[in-house]
Order: sequence, then C-alpha cells, then structure tokens
Amino acid sequence: MRDLRTQFLTDGGVVTAVDGVSFDLFPGESLGIVGESGSGKSVTALSLLRLVPDPGRVVGGKVLFRNQDLLQLSDDEIRQIRGRDIAMIFQDPQSSLNPVLTTGFQIAEAMQAHGKAKAEANARTVELLKRVRIPAAESRVKDFPHQLSGGMRQRAMIAMGLANAPSILIADEPTTALDVTVQAQILELLGDLNRELGAAIVMITHNMGVVAGLCSRVIVMYAGHIVEEGPVEEIFERPQHPYTWSLLRSIPRVDALRHERLRSIEGIAPDLLRPPSGCRFHPRCPFRIERCFTDEPTLEEVATNQRAACWVTMERARREMHADDLLDIRPGAGSGVHPGEQI
Amino acid sequence: MATAAAVVAREIPSPEQASLWSDAWRRLRRNRMALISTIYLVLLVLVALLAIFYTPYRMSAVGIAPTYSGPSQAHLLGADGVGRDVLSRLMIGAQISLIVGVGTQLLVVVVGVTVGLLAGYYRGWLDSVVTFIINVFYGIPDLLVALILVFLLGPSLTNIIIAIVVTRWMDMARMVRGQTLSMREREFIEAARASGAKPVKILFGHILPNALGPIIVQATFGVPAAILFEAFLSFLGVGIQPPTPSWGSMAADGIAPLRIAPHIVLAPSIALSITLMAFNFLGDGLRDALDPRSRR
Repeated sequence: MRDLRTQFLTDGGVVTAVDGVSFDLFPGESLGIVGESGSGKSVTALSLLRLVPDPGRVVGGKVLFRNQDLLQLSDDEIRQIRGRDIAMIFQDPQSSLNPVLTTGFQIAEAMQAHGKAKAEANARTVELLKRVRIPAAESRVKDFPHQLSGGMRQRAMIAMGLANAPSILIADEPTTALDVTVQAQILELLGDLNRELGAAIVMITHNMGVVAGLCSRVIVMYAGHIVEEGPVEEIFERPQHPYTWSLLRSIPRVDALRHERLRSIEGIAPDLLRPPSGCRFHPRCPFRIERCFTDEPTLEEVATNQRAACWVTMERARREMHADDLLDIRPGAGSGVHPGEQI
Repeated sequence: MATAAAVVAREIPSPEQASLWSDAWRRLRRNRMALISTIYLVLLVLVALLAIFYTPYRMSAVGIAPTYSGPSQAHLLGADGVGRDVLSRLMIGAQISLIVGVGTQLLVVVVGVTVGLLAGYYRGWLDSVVTFIINVFYGIPDLLVALILVFLLGPSLTNIIIAIVVTRWMDMARMVRGQTLSMREREFIEAARASGAKPVKILFGHILPNALGPIIVQATFGVPAAILFEAFLSFLGVGIQPPTPSWGSMAADGIAPLRIAPHIVLAPSIALSITLMAFNFLGDGLRDALDPRSRR
C-alpha cells in the first residue's frame, strides 16, 4: 500500500481520515494495526477493499496486490477480489450476520458468489465450521445467528472469511464485542489459522495485548498517520515514538501497586477537520520540542526494521528527559516546552 | 474437549428451534380476530373458486325469479330488478373482488419493492427521481387518475387493476425504500459486500428477506383498499361492466329500489364490509405477529 489517502467530505469540511499511509504486507504474515478510535485504522482497512462508506472517498495512493492496483479495478473486478483473495471479518458478529438467513446458508453463499457449485459449497460449509471449532457443526449449519452465542457467531464469521481460502484476512477489531475468555479463544484460533493456512492476517485493534499475542509486526497509527512501525518485540521493548510509549504505559498492569493510578494519555485525539500543525501528536506529547509545533516529521529508520515519525524519539527522551522516571506525563512535561513559552 | 462439547450440544436442543415464520404463525393463531378472519377469507376463496364451476343460477340469467322478490327457498338472497339471482351474482362478485384485491397487491409488491430497493440502495439521482415521482403521485387525487386511466384504456378487469396499481404503488415503494435505506448501513450488508456478493444478490438475497414482514403486512392492508376502490369505481359505473357483477355495481343497482327491496343493496354491502374487515384484522394480526418488537 502506497501513500493511501482517504477523505470524508462532511458538512463541516474535509476530514482526511487516512493521510499518506504506506506499508507492506508479506504473504503469511500477521500484521497488527493499532491506534485509538478515530486514528484511521479501520478506514485504512476498508479503503483496501474499496468499501469506504459514504461520504468517504479514497482520493490518492495505490493498493498493490499481485501487481495490480486495487484502486484502479472496475467494480466487477474488485468484487471478484473481495472475499476470494482478501476477506474481512468485522467487529460485531451480532450485526455482521444477516438475522433472517441461516448461518450455513450465508457461509455457503460467500463461496457461491465466487463460482462454487451449491452442493460443494454446502459440504465445505460444515467442514469450515468444524475447522473453526464450532461443536456439532452438522446441526449448527441450520441455525439462525440468534441461536448462536457471541463466540460462535464470530467463529462463523471467521469461517465465512476463510470460505474461499483467501491470501489475506483482515480482522477489524474481531474481539471487541466478545468477553475476555472468548476473546482469547478467538485470537488463538486466528493464530492457528494463520500458521496452518498461511493466510496473511491484518489485525486491526486498539488493544496492545491482542497485538502482542498474535502479530509479528505492528503499525501504530495516530490521527491518520503511521507514527511507528516495526517488529512486535521491538515495539514493545523499545518504542521510539512517544505515542507508542504512552499507549504501552497506559495498559493496566496486574502487578501494579494498588494505589497507583491508571495512567492515561492526557488530552483527546485531534479533530481531523482542523489537524494540529507540525507533528499531530505534539498537543499531547510530553517530550515535544519547538520543532514539533511547526514541522511534520516523516517515518525514519530508528533501528533495524523499525521506523518512527518523531523529531525527538524515545531514545533521546530517555537520555535527556528521564522519560522512564517521569510520573507526570502532561503535554510538555518532559521537555518543558509549553505553548506559552514558544517563539 | 471438543468432542465433549459436541456431545453436550447434541443432547441439549437449541432453545429456539422455531424459525421466524413458524414463530409468526404461532403468534398469529393466538390472535382470535385474525384467526376468525383467516377462516372467513379461506371460505371466501373457496366460494369464489366454486363459482367458477357452479352457481345456483346463471349469474346473467334474467327473469328467473320475480323482480325485486325477497329471499326465498329457491333464491336464498332474493332477486334483483331484472329478476337475476342475487346469491349467484354475489359469488361471481367475490371472484372479481379477490382478483382485483390480490392481483393489484401482487403488482404493487413487484413495482413497489423493485423501485424501493433500487432507490434506497443506490440513492443519488435515482432516489431523487423516485422520491419526486412518488410525491407527484401523492399530489394527484386517486380517483382522478383512476377515472382518466379507465376512460383511456377502457373498463376491463385488467385495466381496472392497472388503474388501481398506478394510484397505489407509492406507499409500498416508500416503505421499502425506507427499509432499504436503514438496512444498507447495517454491518451484515457491509459484510456481504466484503465477501464479494453482487448487488442483485445483496438487494434480493439480503435486504429483501429482512423487509419481508413489513411488505406482507402492507400488502395485506392494501388488498381491502383495492377491493373498496374497485367497488367504488363499479358503483360509479366506470368499473366492471355489466353483465359481470361486482359488489360495487350490485349495490348501485339496489340504490333506486332501496325502499321496496333493501336486500339488493344489503347483500353486496354486507359481503363487502365483512371482507374488508377480515383483511384488516388479518393485516393487524400479521403486523403484531411479524413485528420483532412485539415478541412474546
């Protein structure tokens, strides 16, 4: 994906939800895309398959898949790709299944849409339901979505996603609507399928824990930009962007002292109608310097395979601003640069 | 563990085996008025079917009974002003009413659903045009449109059905459009699109089944409206042409001799009223039975 740009034309103006996002996805890889709500991660995924809802529009960039640009294909051609080569699993299995059609019918239909004969599709449906470990798959085929539990519905959705043996499976927050134990099972299932079937998985989530468990590489998005990307171990061990660092710090820890307050990132995600100047994270960044207010950083190599878009980077923040000892992470707290003192 | 779970799942049947439709049928049966109406309508259909092969007398045979004679053993509902058997004519009239009522609604469903689905799904200029046309049709009086059409096309059964469809398709189209508009934003439609389903499949395979309940209810309420409209046209003399009887024209025939032979007006009017009521009660029952919000 190269320089993807997706805008929403709203009454208030143009919102650039995804602004110049580029990344690679390798066959069989599992990639995590993390970020807060509104950071553009879901829209990135939808743009891939040209499913951005109105009034959204992909206005620039390229999505290269097997040497063709998905954004240039005709409606018919992209429909051939959807579900067959690139499948998608949505957040809420409750609302992603048609309530008046049986689960089995919907899975079989996903195959028939790509030219499989009905009998063959029906046979494979049972097989798929077994594969995603739905008990008594033979009888569950005839069940309506409301007769299944939340976990089973999500398994059925995954079965539907796998129906045509796609090479890429995009999972948009597949566990958000499920309770924690079921979440773990679904993640385990996705991991197994990734290994067994060799399908690349793009996991979109706001949960760092999910990424740690499943993915080998991570992209961190903030306000429509990629702010950091790299191997999962590196990102967790040595995050270089202050935003990634804050995200990791804000994960509640079981071993935390009882009186310790839950750390959150100060401030709110920026209004993309009027994005901040310079680095988009500077209004919330504890380590901002003057330059961050005016110049927009680009993704630079900060370690092997790891890139971050930051003028300061955490390495310097640790060295010069004692980041790890910092209890107060209000904007500018580490660097001492406050808007009033600017100029 | 998987096998243990499989055993458990097989032993405990899923709690709601009933499908949407059998569920709705169960609720409909509990509604007494709807049930009585259904029985009445089934009988009416049987009578109409019977009239294809058998009526006590030929419906157009004149002078087989004394003119204006009241109910008797030979003529259960008496005779009209030219000595025709009222019961025989009432049975043929039932045929006409059912054909008009059901025929119109079938066409209304075809037109309304297609227009509504397309306008609601594609939106844009198509939706604007459709909405505009619907509003225009709402603005013109029904009766005027129907009268003009019947005059232009000629007063045959088919043309009357067409005339009624032309004045009655908008409600269905508007309702289906609304349903489609809200449905197209639902996640399962997005999921269907993401799995590569064709637009036709999404419209008729995913959206239509979800809107089927309201469509059936609306069509059921449309049947009596169409029957009444036909009766009204026939009453005015622009509907079904003699000698074929319609409940409307039969009632019109009986207006002049109302004082000496009230049965000529009463027979078709009562038949009409009960039939209209039956369809409305059935529609009410269906609405309650198919509305997911009124579950249990």
